[in-house]
Amino acid sequence: MDLVKYLTFSMILFLLGIWGIFLNRKNILIMLMSIELMLLAVNLNFLVFSVYLDDMMGQLFALFVLTVAAAESAIGLALLVITFRIRGTIAVEFINCMKG
Amino acid sequence: MIKSTESLHEILFLFLEVGLILGSLGVVILTNIVYSAFFLALVFVCISLLYLLLNADFVATAQILIYVGAINILIVFAVMLINKPQSFNFFPSWTTGDGITCAACTGLFFLLITTISDTSWSEIYLVTQSNNIVEQDLGGNIQRIGYLLLTEFLLPFELLSIILLVALIGAITVARREKILEMRVKSQALQAKEDFPTS
Repeated sequence: MDLVKYLTFSMILFLLGIWGIFLNRKNILIMLMSIELMLLAVNLNFLVFSVYLDDMMGQLFALFVLTVAAAESAIGLALLVITFRIRGTIAVEFINCMKG
Repeated sequence: MIKSTESLHEILFLFLEVGLILGSLGVVILTNIVYSAFFLALVFVCISLLYLLLNADFVATAQILIYVGAINILIVFAVMLINKPQSFNFFPSWTTGDGITCAACTGLFFLLITTISDTSWSEIYLVTQSNNIVEQDLGGNIQRIGYLLLTEFLLPFELLSIILLVALIGAITVARREKILEMRVKSQALQAKEDFPTS
């Protein structure tokens, strides 16, 4: 029963992250935050199974996910700042326009 | 005594989950980006305390250090650098696309709930065989993580350090390109003035 509760909340977080991506098409910063929410939900899932299967691999993989999320966040935010500096807007629909 | 720790676990779990759900709803729904950034910090802290409840102390500490201390600060800096004009309604207006995604997410939610509650999780214990025969009896989480990182997971560990190095160099290079362009443009302008002096 405990496992089911933890998995349910991890799934709720993940679905809220997905919903956030679709809800905030005009604002790429909140899309990045929603992606972080999804990564958090997956991390929680890994840790819950690490506890219930008594295997250390889950915690290790959660650490790996943490590190990769940090690197991806840094690069994503740097790109976002540059895009805003050049274009003056962060609406997502204009990003497919490759003309600088 | 055991009952009181069980109920304490339940109460803490309930508090953290309520904080998590409210925080993530705040991140996703609010129009003010600064509020979203601070609700995201609340979500990170709540998840870290949840990791502590799951007896994963090192990952909880690493979560607070990395997510709250680095990633959230980066996000707040990005919010500061991106000055959008504020819309004064608290929640965004609801479009039909929002309704469709809400329905899709709710359908997915019910599907996953039935899947999770119908799976017999107790049978998984029979399938996995913990290979702790080779591993010594190291006390504590950090010792076991350190042992595994340096023996079995050495390659991912080194690759992660390369990823971090590449991200560091890449972010700095991308974010400072404008100054080189400006200097080049200025030197070209000065050169053009020298070649064709205005009489």
